[in-house]
Amino acid sequence: MSEVQRRKYSQEERSAVFDGEFMPHIDSMYNFAFRLTFDEDDAKDLVQDTYMKAFRFINSFEQGTNAKAWLFRILKNSFINDYRKKSKKPATVDYQEVETFYNSDDVDYQSTSDLRAESVRDMLGDEISNALNGLAVDFRTVIILADLEGFTYEEMAKILDIPIGTVRSRLHRARNLLKETLKGYAQSMGYGRDEEEDLND
Amino acid sequence: MENNDASSPDRKLQCSDVSKCFQLLERILDGELVEECEEMLQEKLDKCQPCFAHFHLEQAIREVLKTKCTKQPLPDKLAESIRQMIKDPR
Repeated sequence: MSEVQRRKYSQEERSAVFDGEFMPHIDSMYNFAFRLTFDEDDAKDLVQDTYMKAFRFINSFEQGTNAKAWLFRILKNSFINDYRKKSKKPATVDYQEVETFYNSDDVDYQSTSDLRAESVRDMLGDEISNALNGLAVDFRTVIILADLEGFTYEEMAKILDIPIGTVRSRLHRARNLLKETLKGYAQSMGYGRDEEEDLND
Repeated sequence: MENNDASSPDRKLQCSDVSKCFQLLERILDGELVEECEEMLQEKLDKCQPCFAHFHLEQAIREVLKTKCTKQPLPDKLAESIRQMIKDPR
């Protein structure tokens, strides 16, 4: 947060900011928490912790700025600091480390003619949801922020503490991985076979 | 007039600059390049089959994610217990 000394909110102002600007985002916050933890109790705790921190540090929130992005940033940091550590799962490779090794703007864009918009639209919610949940957490996170919650690249850069170029390339890679999974589903459902043959003729 | 047929004889079948085009299309879909691009986008989609297919696929993915992955029901009393905690933080 900036070093600008903000005046403190009065008791009533605190309640007003909390109820008016923080609480309306609770559905999105819970959805984010659940998709990070895959566990209802952990998600509940994570959301509760986040709101407690938000309340405790409410003086560093400037009214009129983006409350949702501010809250998401707290939630994501709480997740990294508290929950990922606690998790019994073996540590996964932190994508950010791998990413900085490669030139993050040098992303491979290519055509996926074997997955069609129509087959994606015909898929069930569970398939889409499972495909998303199957992504590594850093990839899952950018898709949640961009596509589920509609944050801009700039907001995502602030929430995740990474440069905008990295946001863009990570998002692109995340979607490519998602498409690979969806392609597998589509093929097992028998979609897109005929069209594929047509294109290859 | 917008041509939304999945295939059209007016479109070329090879895109000469997939990398640049697709990156542009994705940024437009992400809402990063709105004003500048409306006209350019339509022209591109009318003339290039790979761009057309990529655009509609990417659009469909964003749509299904938005409509099918945001409905995790909030546990009963979570909002209530948060309000309680801040009233009585000990």
